[in-house]
Amino acid sequence: MNHETIEHDVIIIGAGGAGLRAAIEASGKGASVGVVCKSLLGKAHTAMAEGGMAAALTTADPRDNWEMHFRDTIRGGKMLNNWRMVKIFTQEAPDRVNELEEWGALFDRTDDGRILQRNFGGHQYARLAHVGDRTGLEMLRTLQNHGIHQGIEVYMECTVVDLLMDGGKAAGAFAYWRDSGTFVQFRAKAVVLATGGLGKCYTITSNSWECTGDGQALAYRAGAELIDMEFVQFHPTGMVWPPSVRGLLVTEGVRGEGGVLRDKDGKRFMFDYIPEMFAGEYAETEEEAKRWRPGVPEGPDARRPPDLLTRDVVARAIRAEVRAGRGSPHGGAYLDIASQASEAQIKKKLPGMYHQFMQLASLDITKEYMEVGPTSHYVMGGVRVDPETCSTSVPGLFAAGEVAGGLHGANRLGGNSLTDLMVFGRRAGAGAAEYAGALSAMPGVNPDQVRDIERLALAPFEESGTENPYEVMQDLQKMMEHDSGIVRAKEELADGLGKLRTLKERSVKVRVEGNRQYNPGWHYALDLHNLIMVSEAITLSALHRDESRGGHTREDFPESSPELEKVNTVVRNRDGEMAWEHVTREPLPGDLQELLSHPHLEEPN
Amino acid sequence: MSEETITLNVTRYRHEKDRAPFIQSYQVPYREDWVVLDALNHIKDELDGTLSYRWSCRMGVCGSCGMMVNGEPKLTCSAFLRDYRPGEIRVEPLENFPVIRDLVIDMSGFMDKLTSVQPWIIREKEKPVSEGEYLQTPDQLDAYQQYSQCINCLLCYSACPIFGLETDFIGPAAIALAYRYNLDSRDEGSHRRNDVITDVNGVWECTFVGECSVVCPKHVDPAAAIQKLKVETVSGMVRGFLMPWSRK
Ligand SMILES: Cc1cc2nc3c(=O)[nH]c(=O)nc-3n(C[C@H](O)[C@H](O)[C@H](O)COP(=O)(O)OP(=O)(O)OC[C@H]3O[C@@H](n4cnc5c(N)ncnc54)[C@H](O)[C@@H]3O)c2cc1C
Ligand code: SF4
Ligand code: FES
Repeated sequence: MNHETIEHDVIIIGAGGAGLRAAIEASGKGASVGVVCKSLLGKAHTAMAEGGMAAALTTADPRDNWEMHFRDTIRGGKMLNNWRMVKIFTQEAPDRVNELEEWGALFDRTDDGRILQRNFGGHQYARLAHVGDRTGLEMLRTLQNHGIHQGIEVYMECTVVDLLMDGGKAAGAFAYWRDSGTFVQFRAKAVVLATGGLGKCYTITSNSWECTGDGQALAYRAGAELIDMEFVQFHPTGMVWPPSVRGLLVTEGVRGEGGVLRDKDGKRFMFDYIPEMFAGEYAETEEEAKRWRPGVPEGPDARRPPDLLTRDVVARAIRAEVRAGRGSPHGGAYLDIASQASEAQIKKKLPGMYHQFMQLASLDITKEYMEVGPTSHYVMGGVRVDPETCSTSVPGLFAAGEVAGGLHGANRLGGNSLTDLMVFGRRAGAGAAEYAGALSAMPGVNPDQVRDIERLALAPFEESGTENPYEVMQDLQKMMEHDSGIVRAKEELADGLGKLRTLKERSVKVRVEGNRQYNPGWHYALDLHNLIMVSEAITLSALHRDESRGGHTREDFPESSPELEKVNTVVRNRDGEMAWEHVTREPLPGDLQELLSHPHLEEPN
Repeated sequence: MSEETITLNVTRYRHEKDRAPFIQSYQVPYREDWVVLDALNHIKDELDGTLSYRWSCRMGVCGSCGMMVNGEPKLTCSAFLRDYRPGEIRVEPLENFPVIRDLVIDMSGFMDKLTSVQPWIIREKEKPVSEGEYLQTPDQLDAYQQYSQCINCLLCYSACPIFGLETDFIGPAAIALAYRYNLDSRDEGSHRRNDVITDVNGVWECTFVGECSVVCPKHVDPAAAIQKLKVETVSGMVRGFLMPWSRK
C-alpha cells in the first residue's frame, strides 16, 4: 500500500466557487493549500450558474439593506434557516461582491457605472448582481485567475473516495486519479469539503454528472451530522422538450426580466397560487402586474407579479396545472418572455437563454413561448456547520457551499447560493487555516483504514459481481423521482427506504469491465455508494417531517405545522445505521424577529 | 420497424495497450435532437463503458467537450447529428494536443499560459473593498465584454496552425484574455501584460491565419485581439517610456 502521498496544511475538496474562495483565504493566511477536483479547473458546476448573486448593495433600490435581505432569506426558507448563518451572510454579502469586482469580475452596470442588480424570486428588491446570464462562469474565472496567482496547488481529475481519519479527527483524503486509476493519499491537518450538490439522485435534474453527493456522504461516513436533508429544491423552470435536454435549467432571470407563466390556453395562472404568507405583497390581477416593470422600484399600486414567488411555490403550481390537464403539450407550462420584452432587450439581457433555446430546441424565445417544468436543482440540506468557522462536528473537517446545510432552511432563494459560496467559502478557508496552524504535527494515517477503503474501491473488479452500475443508478434515480421527489407521501417514502436497502445490496455487487485506467464504469460504481447514502438521508428525513414546508411537500400533510417549524432534522451514522433526530433550533432574538413583520409569523414561537 | 441509426467513427487510444490510435465504429440511434455528445453518452452507457471523453454542462458553457468532428474543432454538446446526416461522423481528440486516452487530451500547459498574462486587475494603488465597487459605465463594459466570454474550450488552439508547430506560443485565448484586461477601464497594468504578449512566444508569432475566430463558439474573436495588440504594442512601447502609467 505504498501510495503516492501529497501533503498540505489544508486540503480542499472541490474547485467550485466555495472551494476556490476557501483556497484563496487559507493560502492568504499562510497555509499551504491543495485543491482536489473531479473535473478540470474552471469546469465546476458553479460555471453553470446563470442568474446572479444576491447582496443588498442598495444600488438598484436605496430602501434595501441587510435586514431586508435577512427577512427575505428567512421567509423564503420558511423559518427553518439557522439565523446566525443568515445574519453573517446578509451582512457580509456586499463586501464579497465588491471584492470579486475588485479582483476583476465584470458585472452589468447602471448608467452611472455602479453594479446593476436584477429582480429574482422571493427578493423584495432588485438584488442580484449579474453579468448577462453567465454570472457563475465569471465568478469562477475570476477566482481561478486570482487563486492560481496566489500559488495554490490544484489536483485535477482526481476523485476523493473517503476521508482519512486519525482517531476521530480528519487527517486527509484518499483519492484516485481518474486517468490512471491509481490511488493517491492527501495528508492534511484540516480538510474543507466544497463538493457541491447531489442532483444526480434524480432522473430529471439541472445538475451535471459531478453532482453525486460525494461530500455529504464523505462527511457522514466520517461521523459528521447532516441537517435538513429532506429539503431538495425543484426549480420550476427546467426545459421539458426535447427529451435529450429535459431538466436543463431555464434561468429564473427570464421571469426577473418580466417573463410570465401561462397555461395551455395562454392564461396566467400564478394569480391563483399566492400563499397566505405572501398575501398582499404580490400583484393580484393581470392589470396590476402589467404596471410592474423590472428594474423600476415597485409602488403600492404595482406590486411584483406572482410569477416571481419563491421556487417551491412556482414548482408546485406548475405541477398542479399539469395534473389538472392545463399543461403544455409536453407536460409543462408555457413561459412567455416574447410578449413581455422586445427582441433587442431579450437578446441583451438573456443572450445565453436565447441561444440555448435556438440551438437545443430550435425555438426563438423572442417570438415563441418556452415550455418549462420542475427539475431537481439544489439541496438546501447538507453538512451541519458552525456559522462562524464552518467547522463540522468532526475536528479538522470544514464544509462550505452547497454541500453545507443550514443557511437556506427549507427553501433557497435564487442568487443566494453564489453569495453563500463567497461568504462561507471564505470563512471555511479561514477556519481551516487557523485550525491547521494550531496543530503542531501532521495527523497520522491509519493503515487499516486505508486498506479497507482500497478494498471497497476495487471490489467492482471482482469476478463475483453481477450488477451493472449504470442500471443500478437508473433504478435509484427512478425511485427517488417517484418516492422521494417533488410531492411525497408516507407510504411511498417508507417504500422508498425499502427499495434503498435493495439498491444498497445491489451496489456492493456491481461488476465493471476493463481495468482501472480512465474507466467511467468504475467511476459510476463508486459514485453509487454516495448517491445511495444521500438518497437515504433525504428519504429518511422526509418520512419523519409530517408537514409541507418549502422544498418538502407531503400530500398527506399539506399544511405547515407550527410544532415542526421549531425543529430541524439531523441524521448521523449510529453503529452503521442511519439515525435521525429532530433538534430544536435556537429561536430568533427579538430584534431579528421583528424584521419578519407578518401576522402569520408573529404567532408565539 | 428498425430504428434509424447513424455511424460514429471514434478514435480510441489507450496508451497502456494500444501502440497507436485506431478507429472504432459504433451504430447509435439517430435522434433529431441529439448532439454528438448525446451519442457518445449513449455509447458509454449502453454499448461500451470504456470510452473516455470529457464533458460537464451539456449546455455550451463549461468548455469541456471540445473534439474534432469531421475534422473541425467543435463543442460536441452543440454539434447536432442532424447536421451530419446521412453521412458518418468522425470523432477525434482535439488536434495539436497530446492524447491521454481516447478523446481526452493533455492540456496541462494551458493554465500556465492563461496566468502568464496576469489576468487580474492591476492597480497602481489598491482600493479597500469597503469603499465599494470601481465605477464602470455600460459603454466601458461593452469595450471589452466580447473578449471576456471565453470558456477555455481550446478549440482555437486546435485550429491554430502556429500553435500546431510551436507549442510554446501562448495562443489565441490567452492573448484575448490579456486584451480583455488591457481594455478594462478599471485596470492600469497593460504595460506589464504587454511585456509577456510581445515576448518571443507572444503576438508576433501569429501570422494572422484567423482560424481561431472562425471556430470560437463564443465569438470571442481572438484574431482581432491579436491584431489590435500588435498595433497597440508598437505605439505603446514608445509611449510607455515617457509615461509609465498611461495606458490606452
Ligand atoms: C444550471 C444552474 C444554474 C444556477 N444558477 C444560480 C444562480 O444564478 N445563482 C445562484 O446563487 N445559484 C445558482 N445555482 C446554484 C449554484 O450554482 C450552486 O449551488 C453552486 O455553484 C455550488 O457551488 P459549490 O462551490 O458548492 O460546488 P460546485 O461548483 O458544484 O463544485 C463542486 C466541486 O467539487 C468537486 N468534487 C465533487 N465531488 C468530488 C470528489 N469526490 N472528489 C474531488 N472533487 C469533488 C467538483 O469537481 C467541483 O470542482 C445554479 C445551479 C445550476 C445547476
Ligand atoms: S477564445 Fe473561443 S475558441 Fe478559444 S478557448 Fe476561448 S471560447 Fe474557446
Ligand atoms: S459539455 Fe460543457 S461546453 Fe459542452
